[in-house]
Order: sequence, then structure tokens, then C-alpha cells
Amino acid sequence: MTAVAADLTEVRAAAELVAFGLRRRSRPVEGSEYRALLDRYRSELRFRDVVDTMAEGLGLEVLGTPRSGIVLAPEPSGPFATRLGDLRTMDAEEKLVFGLILLGIAAYAYPQDVDFDDPETKLVDVVKIDEFLRSAIDTLRVQEGEGPAGGHDGERARAAAEAYADLPQLITTQTGRRARGCTLRAIEDALGWLSDQGAAKEAPTLGPDVHHLTDRFRLLVGDSAGGAALDALRELRAAQDGAAR
Amino acid sequence: MSDPLPRLLRRKGERVTPSAGPPLTGPAVVSPAADATARARWRALALTDPIARLVRNAAHAGIDDELFDLRQLALAAVDLVVGSMGFAREATLEEVSDTLTGLAARMAPEHAGQARDVAAVVLKGLLNETHEHRRFTYWFADLSGERARSEPYSFRLLALRDAEYGPVLVASDQAITLFLHGLDVDLEDADRALAHVLQRQLDDRRFDAAVRTAAQAERSSVGISATLAELLDATRRDVGTHDWLVDVPDRLAAARRHVEERIGEDDRFLEHVQSGLDAETSPDVRAASGRIVDLLARVRSVHLDLERRLVGAREVFLSAQVRQRLARRRRLRMLALGDDLLLPVLAAPRADATVVTSAFADRALGVSVPRLVHFDDLVDQLWAPPRQREAAEPEVEDVGAADPDAEEDVQRYPAPVVAAAREVLDTARDEPARVSALLDACEGSDEADQVAELVLLTALWAFAPDAADGESTDERTDAGALASGLVAEDDGRVLDHRLARGRDLVLRASVRTAAEDEAEDMDAEELTA
Repeated sequence: MTAVAADLTEVRAAAELVAFGLRRRSRPVEGSEYRALLDRYRSELRFRDVVDTMAEGLGLEVLGTPRSGIVLAPEPSGPFATRLGDLRTMDAEEKLVFGLILLGIAAYAYPQDVDFDDPETKLVDVVKIDEFLRSAIDTLRVQEGEGPAGGHDGERARAAAEAYADLPQLITTQTGRRARGCTLRAIEDALGWLSDQGAAKEAPTLGPDVHHLTDRFRLLVGDSAGGAALDALRELRAAQDGAAR
Repeated sequence: MSDPLPRLLRRKGERVTPSAGPPLTGPAVVSPAADATARARWRALALTDPIARLVRNAAHAGIDDELFDLRQLALAAVDLVVGSMGFAREATLEEVSDTLTGLAARMAPEHAGQARDVAAVVLKGLLNETHEHRRFTYWFADLSGERARSEPYSFRLLALRDAEYGPVLVASDQAITLFLHGLDVDLEDADRALAHVLQRQLDDRRFDAAVRTAAQAERSSVGISATLAELLDATRRDVGTHDWLVDVPDRLAAARRHVEERIGEDDRFLEHVQSGLDAETSPDVRAASGRIVDLLARVRSVHLDLERRLVGAREVFLSAQVRQRLARRRRLRMLALGDDLLLPVLAAPRADATVVTSAFADRALGVSVPRLVHFDDLVDQLWAPPRQREAAEPEVEDVGAADPDAEEDVQRYPAPVVAAAREVLDTARDEPARVSALLDACEGSDEADQVAELVLLTALWAFAPDAADGESTDERTDAGALASGLVAEDDGRVLDHRLARGRDLVLRASVRTAAEDEAEDMDAEELTA
């Protein structure tokens, strides 16, 4: 951005747009202030720059402006970051399982990179996600059966897949609901969190376990989380290669 | 918006599907405009069927549809034939066949030996060889009348003519119209699709729907504008983000074509709606048309804005190239989430996997606005002096106060009884009355016994107030409350009533002296102090 002084009213409008983005429930309906600001962001380059810059200063990144509204991604160290641990107190094992579930939901919904450009809403189902993860684990076991056996470092080196596979698919409470400690309940919880975060939406008309994944989730995964996870994976591999040498 | 074409086709499909049930009782109107053009669109659809059929038949001839693009060869055949028409010498069957063979050979070089067969299959299909080169015939179900009526539609695509230098190929009018012009549309042009939908809704006089479509058209235009803005923005930041050698110029050219077309269309639409507006008298339609006009005007201004941007686009590129700024960020989308991320993570040791899944989860969950206490706030709160209790106890009893009937004290008289007793006793305030008279006065009321009992108690209270309780508690009992301001005197007469027996007291209003009032005020002051 060239050194142009931003108009104060423009700055205020930009801040309003960021605030709308932070409020999960606001929607840019026709004729609303939010909508006007969103259209302005889409069409006015200068305004866009002001918004982007302001968001950056707040530890946010504007990922895009789908019809459902502006999508902001938090810097992990910023004030608006959400951590898995914030949602519930959980031990390392649980944290891993929930992480795998979130990754599984994303991989189920967006298997290829083109899926991130497809604005069609993806539907996910609690049971299908579980099946997807378990079949991925089975695939892995078959592959490992063929390849060299890894993991001789005791519990620590046991594959992450086992953490998930160890859990039963279903335990029921006395009232017939899914109890904590089974994977179906964990997936239900994870989808619940995503719904709270505006990244998913229940679709009761399509079934009790069905959720829509919103554009927000699509952009968050495609443009932020996916890349970050891949970077983390690469770093780990590089470290392992370094150690091996 | 998703491509509306399949929907339109589907709609049409529903329209022509012969119904299995009893004959139609009347025309099943999908939409007046749809019905008006159904036949013409059906015909266009039927015209492409021979191509589909020849592709199906080719499979029987051992030709792999995936190796040879038969549809394109069919189009090429029509193109070739049309290209030679009107010249002194039309294309012969051999010439067309040779050219198609060459094209087919290029499609699958490793199966070049099959190419001539392929060309033959295509030409035979276009000439309707399976039905002895007769015309293609399809049956249209006309549903406009009471009963569905079948109506044949026959056409040719290519035909052979005998010319001085042998058999030559000519294309039918239908083939020329559809394959050269009719199919030459940008089916992915969402804006155009919306324009068609809008046109249809205006024709059907579905103005509310038209308003929505116009609004959608506006969004779609804004979207195109935004894409271009993004492209230019990215270029400003980093010239390397887009391929300005091939890709971007193509996109700009397409956008320019689009805008050029749309601006003309916008004007046409505006005029159409405006003229309707002038002629229309219904206020609803006028209002809806007014909204459409507003929306279309906005769409038009977006298109004009887009045009301005397009004109300046090259300049943006050039100036950005001169400045060559670094990109602030560049988004790289990974390839396949499942294979590139999920499987490796599942296979990784737990500690490593947790690092990756946390990196993923912490970003995938999006933003949270901090609402809970921070550590600092928490410490401050813990160090703060204990809060003074302002209310003695939570006032549980008060909850029911809003609903006196539900929470009535069983030990007290019901409110109607108290009111009735008060009414009776009030007569004694006006002039002295005997208890026997008051009890008789109670008889008329609904709960006579209870009222009488209360009156009796009041009389006793007035005769001998409960000294131990003091005045403040007197007020809380019904009898005490009713007895205030009354005194009872015993003049020796005997009371004989069905509820009570004893002395027939005389009740009268107590005469308070000024001194008494003063003494009481002082007492009250002492109490509060």
C-alpha cells in the first residue's frame, strides 16, 4: 500500500466491517449496513486495503468475502485466536483425537484442492466422518503391513491413528444418547464447536447428525489451517531428516 | 449461482414426459413464457440427439468414446460442410471423410489405424445411415390442449447432393442454425444465465421473483467486478501472481466482451421494464418494476465501473511491473487434504501428530472474541475484598408475590372474606352497632360463616387487643387490622347467635385525642431510632 493517509471515516467503516466479521451471528442481508460495507470491500480497492491493514494490526487476516460475510482468520498468537484447549479441558490424548477429527472432517469434505474453490456447501454426517477416519486408518494399516514397520519407541511412537482406533465407536448413556469416550460423540462435539464458531450449521431437515460446512470453514481450512498444518508436517520431517543424517 | 441451464432443461423435461395417469384435465402450466418457447427449445434439444446416438452406436462398432472425441468430430464435419457451401465447389464426402480421419488420428495417434473407421461412423451418424438416410424423426408431446397430442418433428443434419464432380455434402438449415450459432454460447456465464432467468420472469409477469433475480444479477456482477479487482490488486502487490503473458490478457478479453454485451443488455432490460412501468396500472407491479429498475441501474453502473477498470487494467500491470513490489503474502493451497495431510498425520507418532493437528485445529476453528476473564483480571478479582452482602437473604418468598392467589397463606382469611368483613364493620364506624346486628348483616354474603367469624374475632380484638404483640404485629393479622380504629364496649346484654354466645358488645369508632396521637408519634420515633 502506498503511503496515503486513510480518511478517518473510512477507518471507522473498516473497523465496523471487521467487527461484523468477528460477530458470528451477523449476516450481510440485503440492505444492511454489513452488506453495504461488504460490497464496498469487494469493489473499492482503497477501502479493502484499509480493512486488510486494520485486520492485520488486530492479528487477523481477511480470507475472503463469500456471500455469507467476511471471513477472518486469527493469527495463532493474536487476541482472537481460538485454541482447541479453550473449548474444553482435555488431556493430550483427547486433544489429538479432536485434532484428528477436525482434520478428518476437512479431508472428508474437501479431498482435493479444487474443492476449496467450489462454493457448493458440503454436507457431513457424524457416522460418515467416523467411517471415513476408520477406513483411512485401515488403509494405513494395510500400507504399513507392506512397508517397513515403524514405531519401536514404545508408547510415544505409537501412531496417532491408534489413539483414534482405540476408542470405541459408540457408547450410550442410560438415556440412549452417545456418551463421552466414544468417537461418534467426539465427532458430534467437534461439529458442535464448529457450529458455535460459525464454521458449520446443523441441517436437521436432512438428518439428526447432518451438518452443512459453511464457506467460513472452507476458507479457513483452504487458506489458513491446511497450509499451517502442512508447514508443521514439513518442519517435522525436515527435523527428522536432519536427525537421521 | 449454479448453472441454471440444467434446471431449465429439467423443467422442460418434466413438461414433455408423458404422464402415466389419466389424461390431463388441462394444460399444466409451468410458466407462460416457458410454455411459449417449450416447442422451440425442445426442437433444439432434439437436434443434438443424433450426435448422442452416434456416440452410443460407435461403442457397438468398437470405437472407444474416450479415445476419440466423436462429438467434436461431428461438429467439425458440420463446420467443414458449411465452410464449403456457397462456394463454386462444395465439399465431397471423401474430402470431409479425409479431414475427419486426419483429426481423429491426431486425437489418438496410437490408434491411427482406426481413424478412418471413426470418420465413417461420424458421417454415417450425421447422415442417419441406420434409418436408410431418412430424416431424423422425433415426437413432441403437445400438452397445450385437453389431451396430450404427439407431433412429429423431422429434420436432417447433413444431406448428400449429386453434383457435377460427384456426391457433395450440404448442411440443413437446422444444422447450421444450431451447430454454428445456437451452441456458440458461454454456458458458464452466470450473468447471462441470470439475464435469461430475469427475462423469463418478466415475460411471465412474476415481478417479485424478477426483483430477486435482478438482485442476484447485481451480486453476480459485483462478483465479477470483485474478481477483477482481486486480480488487479494481486498484480499491484506482486506482478508474479498472475500470468500476464497469456492467462490474464485472455481473461481481460473475455471480461471485455462480457461487459460490452452486458451494457447493451442492461439498457435493453431497463427499457423493457421502464416501458412496462409506464403502461402498468397495478400498484404492486409498479412498485416491483421500480425496484427492478433501481437494481438494473445499479447493475449497469457496476458494469460501467467494470469497463473502466478493464480499460485501466493494462496500466496497472505496467506500473506494478515498474515498481515490482513484493507480495505481502501468497496463498498456496495444498493439493489433497486426505493424502497430503490426514494419512501422514495418522501414520505419525502421537507427539508429532499432535503438533500438526493443533496447528490445524487452532486455525480451522476461526476467530473467538475474548469474553472470559484473562489471568490478570482473575487475579484482581481474587484479591478484591469480599463483597458486602447487600440483601440479608435471597428473598425466596417474594417470588410468589406477583401471584397472590397462588401463594395465599392458608392461615389467613381469603381476601374476599376480609373485604366482606370490612364492609360489615365499616357500618360500626359510622354509628355504634351491636355485634348481633353485625353478625346478622354477614348472612347475605357467600362465605357467611367465615365472614361472621372474622367479624366476631374483630369485635373481641377491639374489646381486648393482644397487648403482648404490640401494634406493628396487630397490623399483620386480619382481625387486628380490621379492629384498628374500633373500640368495643360491654353494656351487659347477652348475645345468642348460632356461631357465638356471650356478651353482645357494642362496636363504635374510637375517638382519638390529639394527645394520644402525639404520644403514638413519639413512640414511633423511638422505635425507628
